[in-house]
Amino acid sequence: MATLNFPYKYGFHEKENYVFKSKRGLDEGVVKSISWHKQEPDWMLNFRLQALGLFRKKSLPVWGGDLTHIHFDDLYYYIKPTENKVSSWNDLPAEIKHTYDKIGIPEAEKKFLAGVSAQYESEVVYKSINQMLAKKGVIFLDMDSALRTYPDLVKQYFGTVVPSADNKFAALNSAVWSGGSFIYVPKGVRIELPLQAYFRINAASMGQFERTLIIADEGSYVHYVEGCTAPIYSTDSLHAAVVEIVVKKGARVRYTTIQNWSTNVYNLVTKRARAEEEAIMEWVDGNLGSKLTMKYPSVYLVGRKARGEVLSIAYAGPGQHQDAGGRILHVAPETSSRIISKSISRGGGRTSYRGLVQVHPGADHVKSKVVCDALLLDEASRSDTYPTMKIDQQGARVEHEATVSKIGDEQLFYLQSRGLTKSAAESMIVNGFIEPIVKELPLEYAVEMNRLIELQLEGSVG
Amino acid sequence: MLLTVSDLHVSVENKPILRGLSLRVKSGEVHAVMGPNGSGKSTLAYAFLGHPAYTSRGKIVLNNKDISHLSTEDRAKAGLFLALQSPIAIPGVTVTNLLRAALGDNKNPSHNPILARRFVGSLPVEEFMKAVKEYAKQLHIDESFLSRGIHDGFSGGEKKKIEMLQALVLKPKFAIFDEIDTGLDVDALRIVARGIGMLSQKGTGIIIITHYQRILKYLKPDVVHILVSGKIVKTGNAELAKKIEDNGYTQFSV
Repeated sequence: MATLNFPYKYGFHEKENYVFKSKRGLDEGVVKSISWHKQEPDWMLNFRLQALGLFRKKSLPVWGGDLTHIHFDDLYYYIKPTENKVSSWNDLPAEIKHTYDKIGIPEAEKKFLAGVSAQYESEVVYKSINQMLAKKGVIFLDMDSALRTYPDLVKQYFGTVVPSADNKFAALNSAVWSGGSFIYVPKGVRIELPLQAYFRINAASMGQFERTLIIADEGSYVHYVEGCTAPIYSTDSLHAAVVEIVVKKGARVRYTTIQNWSTNVYNLVTKRARAEEEAIMEWVDGNLGSKLTMKYPSVYLVGRKARGEVLSIAYAGPGQHQDAGGRILHVAPETSSRIISKSISRGGGRTSYRGLVQVHPGADHVKSKVVCDALLLDEASRSDTYPTMKIDQQGARVEHEATVSKIGDEQLFYLQSRGLTKSAAESMIVNGFIEPIVKELPLEYAVEMNRLIELQLEGSVG
Repeated sequence: MLLTVSDLHVSVENKPILRGLSLRVKSGEVHAVMGPNGSGKSTLAYAFLGHPAYTSRGKIVLNNKDISHLSTEDRAKAGLFLALQSPIAIPGVTVTNLLRAALGDNKNPSHNPILARRFVGSLPVEEFMKAVKEYAKQLHIDESFLSRGIHDGFSGGEKKKIEMLQALVLKPKFAIFDEIDTGLDVDALRIVARGIGMLSQKGTGIIIITHYQRILKYLKPDVVHILVSGKIVKTGNAELAKKIEDNGYTQFSV
């Protein structure tokens, strides 16, 4: 208990086995108490405190969505629902189990999962790791446990892909992070089944700041899938996650997210991967929920022949703004990339594609393609495209295509003339529009995605 | 079973196109409605299915049920089918998915996304797929078209065959084919004509809307109607179509 130098100063009298909730707002005391509760090493506490300073110094981005309604002083930054992690489904508290039953974890587990890691509020409470993973030397833990069990490995990579100073929300996450996943895949190990985690915000005005770090060692392969849903709350919630991925020589990582936060959540996530020589990094990113999402999964192509892909789907209904896209930095020669973005706006919803393709000097023979298609379901909805290209090397082949279309009356008539209702016809057109990306999802997610689109459009037409 | 149209008036943007059209089609019959450009042929096709851009007055009665005021989808559910002249592309929506959605799932009306994958209409999915593939084969449609976005980048001939395929799978009570013969080479024309013949043998009443009598060489109509300026000016048998071939429409001008 070397870090225990401020035991009861901040009013946290709960014993280890009790539910713990930090006070509203953020100061050094809150950061210290988080670190103390987790019994972290000094370097992590210092990392957090330094990040807190950066968070205070940095201003909100002036582009993207409206962030002025986030009241940082009203938020809770740490909540711990149960103390001990459980290793089997039956050990979970009934209420939590009920919540997960609705999302369908056990079914998903039976069919596809190698390991399940479900995040409830700030803490991972349920985890089962397939023996196969352990046998192959794969580490798949929640980040808190990883820090305790593999402190050196975590220290080596933590904050190296997304530094705390990157942006205000990365700094905030670095100061108060809790939970998230840690994955290490050893050299040459390929995990054929996707690894999954489910996330959930369950307390009003509670920020969720999970931190995920994936290291795919040389020649390895892993597909990580993250799905989020959240119930509706009356006060605004903040979700500011950081995901860092290191893809070493010849390795491949695919990271799939289906985000369906309730429409009062600010979803401000920094996701970045570093791809070394001949490595492949693929982001598949679906944003359906939240009030405002600002998320631009990035790939830094630092090794020769590395490849980066971002496949992005965004849906914005009434009151929603999805500001999503991707960033690819071609630092090394012969690197290639592709960004495909499909966005749907309905009922006054707003989608923005915001992307960057940058080719550094010396990165020759670079190929990049950006395709962004927007579908508007009505006159009240809006879609914007903000593509940026910075090319500092001659001979780079960079293509960009953008389309905006509306669901046509003739398409609706055609499907209705086959006996489909208007809303069934609309959801069929929308699902067809996103099909090129949905087919990249694991089957269950593809089914769920189609169902979510149907649910969104049901009753949307008069 | 009977499809009757009585005194149908249809206008588009307040411009009258059809001016009192009447028709009577029995199950299994093949009717050809022939007319020159601008006579109102396509308007008739759209009016059958209640396209929102067309304002109609008059009656359409299917099997003793007045469907004149029903929505497009309800007319389709009542048993009408329209093969469009230039059907629109819908990227990412395959003809197979469209047919599955159109037929629904009689066994699992609850729409459970997992259970709903097992039945199409009252057929298990595997049998449905077998039937679709068999029809595709008969129509010389390459199987790859079944898993592509419908009409997306399809040639004129492929589009017409895919429309024909849908009619065969959906087995409507009455089917309207709007200019099904345009843009088809002789082989495709023969294949589509054979498809329509199959459909009528199964009891579907057929209305072929056409400018030329090309397709009628491969498919003998029971009744031929001549449509000029929004009215049927003459009704006869297959001989009437030959007269048009020889002398054109001017003899019927009003």
